[in-house]
Amino acid sequence: MNEEIIKIEKLSKLYENGDLSVKALDNISLSVTQGEFIAIMGASGSGKSTLMNILGCLDRPTEGYYYLEGIDVGEKTDDELSEIRNRKIGFVFQSFNLIPRTSALQNVELPMIYGKVKASERTGMALSLLEQVGLTDRAHHMPNELSGGQKQRVAIARALANCPQIILADEPTGNLDSHSSEEIMEIFARLNRKEGNTVIIVTHERDVAEFTDRIITFKDGSVIKDENLKGVS
Amino acid sequence: MLLTENIKLALSSIKMNKMRSFLTMLGIIIGISSVIAITSIGASAEAVVSKEFQSFGMNNMYVYLNWEAVRDQPIQYADLILPEDIEALQARFPDDILYVAPSISASSETKVGRVRGKLGMTGVAADYNKFYHMEMIHGRMINQSDLDGKRDRIVIDEAASGYFFNKSDSVGETFTVTLNGESRDLTVVGVFRKEASLFDQLNTGESYTTYIPYSLLQTVDDSTSYLELYINGDKDQTQLGGEIVRYLARIKDKVPEFYRFESAEVQMDMINSVLGTLSIAIGAIAAISLVVGGIGIMNIMLVSVTERTREIGIRKSLGARTKDILTQFLIESMILAAIGGMIGTLLGIGIAAIGMGIAGVALIIDPMMILLAVGFSAVVGMFFGLYPARKAARLDPIEALRYE
Repeated sequence: MNEEIIKIEKLSKLYENGDLSVKALDNISLSVTQGEFIAIMGASGSGKSTLMNILGCLDRPTEGYYYLEGIDVGEKTDDELSEIRNRKIGFVFQSFNLIPRTSALQNVELPMIYGKVKASERTGMALSLLEQVGLTDRAHHMPNELSGGQKQRVAIARALANCPQIILADEPTGNLDSHSSEEIMEIFARLNRKEGNTVIIVTHERDVAEFTDRIITFKDGSVIKDENLKGVS
Repeated sequence: MLLTENIKLALSSIKMNKMRSFLTMLGIIIGISSVIAITSIGASAEAVVSKEFQSFGMNNMYVYLNWEAVRDQPIQYADLILPEDIEALQARFPDDILYVAPSISASSETKVGRVRGKLGMTGVAADYNKFYHMEMIHGRMINQSDLDGKRDRIVIDEAASGYFFNKSDSVGETFTVTLNGESRDLTVVGVFRKEASLFDQLNTGESYTTYIPYSLLQTVDDSTSYLELYINGDKDQTQLGGEIVRYLARIKDKVPEFYRFESAEVQMDMINSVLGTLSIAIGAIAAISLVVGGIGIMNIMLVSVTERTREIGIRKSLGARTKDILTQFLIESMILAAIGGMIGTLLGIGIAAIGMGIAGVALIIDPMMILLAVGFSAVVGMFFGLYPARKAARLDPIEALRYE
C-alpha cells in the first residue's frame, strides 16, 4: 500500500505580469504515498493554492516534473488532463462550487456524465454517494436550499464520483462554522482511514490541520516545514 | 458527453431565462415566419393561377395582327385574316388546331318582359363547347348551319335562363338585342352550365355570358384581326404558336413579325415566373432578418458564456473536455435557433392561412420549405453559436474558477 502516488521534482511556477514576475513555487520537491492524509499550511500567497492547482492538473508548472501514479503529467494534452481530473482526482473547493440551479443529485452525477457512465447506473451511484455524506433526504434540493455544511458535503460526494484515489480540498472549511468544519473533517478522516483515499487539504487553521497525519508548511513558494504527526509511519 | 444530457442542459438553461430566450429567438421567429408566409402565399397564388388557366383552357391560343409592326403602313383588307386563311391554317395544321374562330364579342342591353339585363355575347364557331368545358343541359350548342346561315341563335347559361325566364329550360325563348346598331331577335337554342372561373367573375360584372354564331358579329365583311384557337395540348405551345404565325405570314406574303400569338401556357409561365421572382426577392429580404436573428443569438450566447464562466471552470475541474463544453454551448444555441424556427414556422403558416383565408384561396404549404427553414435556422444557430462556444471551451480552468 505504500506506493508513491504523487512525486514532484524541482517544481517551479512563475507568474509573469508585464515586467513583474512572481515565483509562486520555487524549486519544490515532494512525494506523497498512497493513503496519506496531508495538510498544507501557509500564509496567503505562500504558493499552497498554486501547488494544489498543479497537483489537481488544472495548471502546469513552469519548470520541473510532476508524476502522478508514475505518469509524467507534463506530457499530457489538455484533454488528457481533463480525463485525469475526471477519474483520478476529486476536488473540494472553499466556495463549494456547486453548479447553481442544479440539484444536489445532478451535481454529484456530473463527473460521471463526463466519465461516460451510463444514465441508468448514474443515479443509483450518486444516491449512494450522498448517503455516504448523510444527505439522502437532500438529493433533490437546489444548492441555494442547502446550508454551507450541506453544500460542502454535496461537493465531497461529487468529488467521490468515479472513485478517484486522490481528494484535493482547497480550504474546505474556510467558509464554514466550527461545527460544520468538524463534520467535514471527520468525513475526510473517514475517507482516508476507511476507504484508503489519499487526502490533501489546504488550510490555514491549525486545528483543522491537526486532523491530518502530516503537515507541510509553505512560505514564499518553498516548503519550510514537513512534520509527521503520526510519528513513524 | 452524451447528447441527451446536452439537450436537457440546453433546455433547462433556456427555461431558466424565458424572457431572454424569447427575445433572442424573436429575430429567428420573424425571419422564418416571413419566409414561410411568403413562400406559402407564393405557392398558393401560383396554384390559383394555374388552376384558373386550366379551367379557362390551357390550350387556348390567340393569333392576331401585330398593330405595332404595321403602324407606318396603311392596313389593307388583304392583310387581315380572311376565311380562306383560316381554312389554310386548318389544312396545314390538321392535328394541332382543334378549333379556330375569329375572336369577336359584343354586349347589349336586353329586356324580357319586365326583366332588364345585360348580355355579353361571344362569337363562336361550331363545337366550341367540346373544348371549353361546357356542359349543355338543354338544347344544343351553336352549329355549322347557324354560322353559315348567319342565323339569329343564342346559347345562354343556366343563371341567365333563370334570371330572364325564371326557368332552367328556356330553349325556344327569344331575346331582343342590339348588334352594331341593329335590333335583332335571338332565339335560345341551348342552355349550358359552366363553372365560373376567376376570369369570368372578373370580366362579366353585371352581364351574362352567352354565345352566338361569330358570323352574326361580322357585319362589314368577314375579315378579322384576332383569331381564337384551341390547340393540341401535346405540343410545345411556344413552338407551335411560332410555326402558326410564320405560316400565316408566308401565305399572306408578310414579314413574320406581322402576326403574333399569345397562349395561355406562355402567359401562365410568365405570371408564375413573376410570382416566383417576387417570392425569392421578398424571401431574400426575410432571410436577412435570419442573419440579424443569428447575431442576436451570438450576442446572448456571449453574455451567457460570461455569466457562466465559473460554471465552466467547475465543469472543467470535474473532467469536462474542451469538446464537452463546446458541444454544450453549441447545442444550446442551436436549440434556441431551432425552437425559434419552429415557432416561426407555425406563425408563418398562420399568417399565410389568414391571408389566404381572406383571399378565399386554398393554402398550399411546401413541406420542403418548412424543413429548409427549420434546418436553416439551426445552421444559423450553429454558425453564430460557434464563436461563443469556442470562447467558453477555451477558458482556462483556473481563471474560470476564480471568476466572480
